[in-house]
Amino acid sequence: MRDTTTRPLVEVRNLKMYFPIHSGLMRKHTGDVKAVDDISFDIYEGETLGLVGESGCGKSTVGRALLRLYEPTAGQITIAGDDVASLSPEALRRKRPTMQMVFQDPQASLNPRMTVADIIGEPLDEHSGLSSADKLARIYELMDAVGLNRAFANRYPHAFSGGQRQRIGIARALALNPKFIVCDEPIAALDVSIQAQVVNLLEDLQDRLGLTYLFISHDLSMVRHIADRVAVMYLGQIAEISPVDALYARPLHPYAEALLSAVPEPDPSREGARQRIILKGDVPSPANPPKGCNFCTRCPKVMPVCREVEPRLQEAAPDRLVACHLIHPIDAARAGQTGQAGAQEHSQQQGV
Amino acid sequence: MPDGAMPVLEVRGLKTVFHTRGGSVHAVNDVSFHLMPGELLGVVGESGSGKSVTMMSLIGLLPSPPADVQSGQVLLGGQDLLKATPEALRKVRGARIGFVFQDPMTSLNPVFTVGSQIMAPLRKHMGLSKAQAEVRAVELLELVGIPDARRRLKSYPHQFSGGMRQRVMIAIALACDPEVLIADEPTTALDVTIQAQILELVKELRQKLGMAIVWITHDLGVVAEIADRVMVMYGGQVVEQAPVKELFRNPRHPYTRALLKTIPKLGGQRGERLQVIEGQPPILGSAPAACPFRARCAHAFARCEAENPVRRPVDGRPVGQGHDVACHWSPEGAEDPSQEAAHA
Repeated sequence: MRDTTTRPLVEVRNLKMYFPIHSGLMRKHTGDVKAVDDISFDIYEGETLGLVGESGCGKSTVGRALLRLYEPTAGQITIAGDDVASLSPEALRRKRPTMQMVFQDPQASLNPRMTVADIIGEPLDEHSGLSSADKLARIYELMDAVGLNRAFANRYPHAFSGGQRQRIGIARALALNPKFIVCDEPIAALDVSIQAQVVNLLEDLQDRLGLTYLFISHDLSMVRHIADRVAVMYLGQIAEISPVDALYARPLHPYAEALLSAVPEPDPSREGARQRIILKGDVPSPANPPKGCNFCTRCPKVMPVCREVEPRLQEAAPDRLVACHLIHPIDAARAGQTGQAGAQEHSQQQGV
Repeated sequence: MPDGAMPVLEVRGLKTVFHTRGGSVHAVNDVSFHLMPGELLGVVGESGSGKSVTMMSLIGLLPSPPADVQSGQVLLGGQDLLKATPEALRKVRGARIGFVFQDPMTSLNPVFTVGSQIMAPLRKHMGLSKAQAEVRAVELLELVGIPDARRRLKSYPHQFSGGMRQRVMIAIALACDPEVLIADEPTTALDVTIQAQILELVKELRQKLGMAIVWITHDLGVVAEIADRVMVMYGGQVVEQAPVKELFRNPRHPYTRALLKTIPKLGGQRGERLQVIEGQPPILGSAPAACPFRARCAHAFARCEAENPVRRPVDGRPVGQGHDVACHWSPEGAEDPSQEAAHA
C-alpha cells in the first residue's frame, strides 16, 4: 500500500478521446465514438493502479492515450512533470524512454522477422548511443531480469511459447529504464498456469526497479491480487476509484457491485451463499451514450434523477471516489444534509 | 446421479491423432467418460489439453486428414457414433447432440438471418414446414430470453451483441430437443456481466428441459458454479474426475492441486505471492509412455517417468462413478513409499 506522502507520478485531468464517425458519400463528420469521456485520476509513484471494466468501456484507449499512442481529443496527462498531451514531437520522443507499454497479445506485438536480441535491442538503438558490446551486455541483462535463457537471444518469436513471448515484450519495455509502464491485458492471452508466472515477474520487477504500473485487465481476481488501487470504468467514464481492499470488500458504485458479483468463484461450497446481481441488457453504444448517468439503462438502483443529471466523480469516503447519485458526497454530509440526499444534491450539481 | 440409470452418452478409450507435416500430434489419449441424463459435466483444461478435440471427435467434426480418430467407442443410446456412416452422423448432429461454440460471431453465418439459421435444423431434422418452423423459432428465441423475438428473426448476426449472439447459438443448439448439449467455452468470449446472464440462462434451461450438458471451459470459477461433476484434462488425458464439491475440497492430482492454487480468489487472503506451475504444457509428439505432467510436477518420482498412470479410484467407487485420479503419487504418501525419498 502506498503511504500518503508519495506524490502522483501520473496526473490525468479531463481526458477525452473521441473517434470521429464519418458517413455518407462525402464522408461527413456525423458523430463521435466517445471511447473516453472526460476522466481524471492520479497514479502514485511506485503503485499499481488497476483499470477494470468490460470490453468496449475504453480502458485500453485510456492506456494508449496516456502514452500518446493516440492524439487525445482534450485533457492533460502529466507524467513526471511534463504534459504528455501537449509535448512537441521532438520533446515527446525524448520523453518516451520514461513511459513504456506491455501489450496484450505477445504474438501480434513482436515482429516475427526480428530475433529476440533485435526486439529487445531496438529501443536501445533508437534512444541510446550504446556501443554494440554494451548493447549486447544490456540485452543479456534484460533477458536475465525477465527469466529468459541468454542462449535463445538469436531465436525468433515463433520459437517461444506464449508466456515466454510475454517475457520478451516485458524485457523490451524495460530496456530504457522506464518509470511508468502501461500493462494492457498482459495475461489475457495466456493459460491459467502461465498467468501466475507473468504476474509474479511483474511484481518482482516492480519491487526491484520501483516501477509504477497501470494494469489494465478484465480479470477482477488478478487485479485484486496485483493492484493497490482500482479504477472501474463503464462506457468511457470512471464509475469508482478505490483502494483495492475497500473496493472488493464493499463496492460503492452499483456497477462496481454488479461487476464484482458476476465473477464466478472457484469454490462450489460458497456458491449458494453469494448474492449475484444479474444486469439486464447490454452496454449502450459509446457513439450514443444515454442522457444522465451512463449506467442508468442497466442500473438495478436507478432513480429518475439518474436519467437527467450526470453524476460527477466525488469523494465518498477517504481515498474513494464514486460517480453515483446514491452516494452522498462528503461535502453534503459535512453540511448536515445527510437525510435528504436525492433532490437537493442534484440541484446543486446542476448549478455547477 | 441415480444408481442403475443408463448414461445418455458414453465414451470409451477415445484416441485421436493429427498427422501433420511436422509429425503426428497425439491430441487425445485413451479418454473415457460418460454423461448421465440431466447431468452437467464440466471439462477443464488448458489450451492444448485435448478437451475440444475430444468433443469434436465424438461427432465427426474434425477434418480427416489431418485428424484420425484411431480407436474408441462413442455410445449414444446404444449406437456407436464412430462406426456410423456420414449420413447417420448428420442425423445425430444438431438433432440428438447440440453444439454451442466459443465464438458466436464466427459460428453464425453473417449472410443469413438469424431466423433462417434457427429454422434450418428444424426443417432438416424435424421435417417442419416453413410456417411451423417459424413458430418454433419464435418459441426458442423467447426461451433463451431474446425480447421481441418475432421481429428479431429477420435480423442478421451483426445486429446482435455478443451475449445475444450466444443466446441465438444456444437456441439453435436446442432447436431439435437434443439429448446432449456440448458447449465448448461458451462464455469465454463474453464479459463477466454477460457471462453471468448466460450462466443464469443455462441453469434455468436445465430446470425446464432437463438435458445433459458437457461444458468445456478453462475457468474453474465457471465450473464451480454450474457443474455437477468435473473432468480435468492434461496432455490429452483425463487426469482427475470427481463430483464438483469433492474436486474442489479434495483435489488429488498434483496438476489440479497446483491449478487451484495459481488462481487468485476474490475472497480470502491477499498479498501473498501466487503459486506457479513452472514450465510449459507438453508437446504430444508421440503416444504417451510416461505421465504427461511429470516435467512440471512437484511430486514426480522414477515411476512417473517409466509408466503412464491409469485412472484409479480414490473413494472406492469404480472409475468414472465417484472420484478417480490418474497419478502414481498420493497426498497421504501411502500408495508408494519410494516416492517420499524421491520427493525429499
